[in-house]
Amino acid sequence: MAVIETFGLSRNFGKTIAVEDVTLAVEAGEVLGFLGPNGAGKTTTIRMLAGMIAPTEGYAIVAGHRTDRDMEQLHEMVGMLTQTPGLYDRLSARRNLQYFASFYPSVESQSQVEKYLKLMGLWERRDSKAGTFSKGMKQRLALARALVHEPKVLFLDEPTAGLDPEAAGEVRQLIRTLREEGRTVFLSTHNLNEAEMLCSRIAVIHTRLLALDTPEQLRRRFFRRQIIVQLEASDAKVMEVVKSLPFVQEARGEGSQLILELTDLERNRPELVKAIVEAGGRVIGVSEKQYPLEDVYLKLIREESGNES
Amino acid sequence: MSRRRIRTILLKEWVLLFTDLNSALVVTLLPFLVVGQGILYIWLAFRFAGESMLAASVFQTALQKLVEAMPGVIQLPGQEQLLVLLLSQFNFFLLLIPTMIAISVATFSIVDEKLSGSLEALLATPVKTWELLLGKALAGAIPALLMTWLSGGVFLLVALALGWGHLIGYVVTARWFLTLFLLTPAVAILSFMLGVAGSARAKDPRGAQNTALLIILPVFALIGIQITGVVWFTPLLILLLALAIGIADFVTLRAAVRLFRRESIVVQWR
Ligand SMILES: Nc1ncnc2c1ncn2[C@@H]1O[C@H](COP(=O)(O)OP(=O)(O)OP(=O)(O)O)[C@@H](O)[C@H]1O
Ligand SMILES: [Mg+2]
Repeated sequence: MAVIETFGLSRNFGKTIAVEDVTLAVEAGEVLGFLGPNGAGKTTTIRMLAGMIAPTEGYAIVAGHRTDRDMEQLHEMVGMLTQTPGLYDRLSARRNLQYFASFYPSVESQSQVEKYLKLMGLWERRDSKAGTFSKGMKQRLALARALVHEPKVLFLDEPTAGLDPEAAGEVRQLIRTLREEGRTVFLSTHNLNEAEMLCSRIAVIHTRLLALDTPEQLRRRFFRRQIIVQLEASDAKVMEVVKSLPFVQEARGEGSQLILELTDLERNRPELVKAIVEAGGRVIGVSEKQYPLEDVYLKLIREESGNES
Repeated sequence: MSRRRIRTILLKEWVLLFTDLNSALVVTLLPFLVVGQGILYIWLAFRFAGESMLAASVFQTALQKLVEAMPGVIQLPGQEQLLVLLLSQFNFFLLLIPTMIAISVATFSIVDEKLSGSLEALLATPVKTWELLLGKALAGAIPALLMTWLSGGVFLLVALALGWGHLIGYVVTARWFLTLFLLTPAVAILSFMLGVAGSARAKDPRGAQNTALLIILPVFALIGIQITGVVWFTPLLILLLALAIGIADFVTLRAAVRLFRRESIVVQWR
């Protein structure tokens, strides 16, 4: 069942088109990565989905509510981590949480505040002012705030941006916990590795939605699969033999490596190795070329920019 | 629900207000500075410049209007007539207090929250923006009113202590009460709403305050108009003035509510 659904969602700011015609669906319990460069419209989309601004065209349904109509009910169902933690520096961690918790009618704020302070490892520091916290602690407190009313749907706007690797790791671990609890998470990020680690599917946005798929499928779609044969040394004769094989579609040499495209990457492999060995080639290893998701992403964005100009 | 929320907002605003030294000083000390300064000027004028002021034609006209309004004054010696005239300015002078406090609280509580990003986080909760606005307005208006009334009381006590007790009857009249209990709340609301408007665009509290503090000019104008005898504010005039400001309150309130919508805050307050 889709928990987040958008239909031609668009938003302009005067003449600037921030988001255009985004149609997507996020299933219950899914962690969706929402990727895009600066100014791609990630925050704008999240704000529309969280019922903070209205779309100029199209609409969205989140947790069964139109985001531009039933805002009050919507706000009870969703949690939001804004791009900046936005805490009251002169209030204690506990007071910060209590204040926000008090706006949800059905929340037992005392116990919820305690639960999340403990979960985020802030219980010992509960009476310290938020202003004295490190960046990572602030982010965890902001996460606690987004969770204090047990929302089904969470919008996280770049939750690990600006954190050191350890703090970012902690936040990622928390997102995994959320996933295990079956919450639906809409995770905006610049970080592809992060998206790949945490998300079942990845949406790439650059004003328009460029792609929405599993990381694996995205790779397949943008890069033909290639095989790398590592030889002891480069060998012109071997290259010639390889090129003449019927199932080799493309071949090039890179130093002592052969990079090949085959008709069937799995089934042609033994034949290939046999032919190379018979031609006198000494094979050290055979592996599939791995394209980092980064390359997929850059390719998508470049293609998009190319279309524009 | 709304009542509980508004109370929560109000209390949180006060905690933040009184843990910020600057704001706490504005609310607690400024009223006494205003009163102290006002009395000092009056005392100095009365003590050292009374003769020459009495001779000045501006004050002659003003005194004339004062006597028309309160014939009993004519029986006082000339010096004391002047003193009554000066003390009678105090009701308008007190208007500076709600103005400054309301503006200071509004800009402080909104700009701070806007810059830190907490306002945006708040807008993702079910809180209604009018609840937020009302909570913040009360957080500013309550201390503004209390401090104004307190200052009025302090002023009377000091006047007594200076041996001006027999003149108080001429000062604490219908004008005095109308100013304190009608004009003061109306001015406080107007100041707060101007503070909200100033906060929308401002990059820091000071910028917001500069915009909003323009309202102080009309307050000074009121004092100027009265002390120079251009117009003597009768109770009826004060009532009309309060009514006019009440209308201005209503207009700015509507503008502020619109300015304080989720959409506007997120999109326009940058
Ligand atoms: N309130 C606004 N008024 C005018 N233009 C805006 C507003 N908010 C966003 N924009 C514009 O809309 C576009 C998308 O902005 P948005 O903040 O959604 O991008 P983003 O993907 O979140 O970027 P980043 O990675 O930098 O956070 C940008 O061109 C931005 O300038
Ligand atoms: Mg953003």
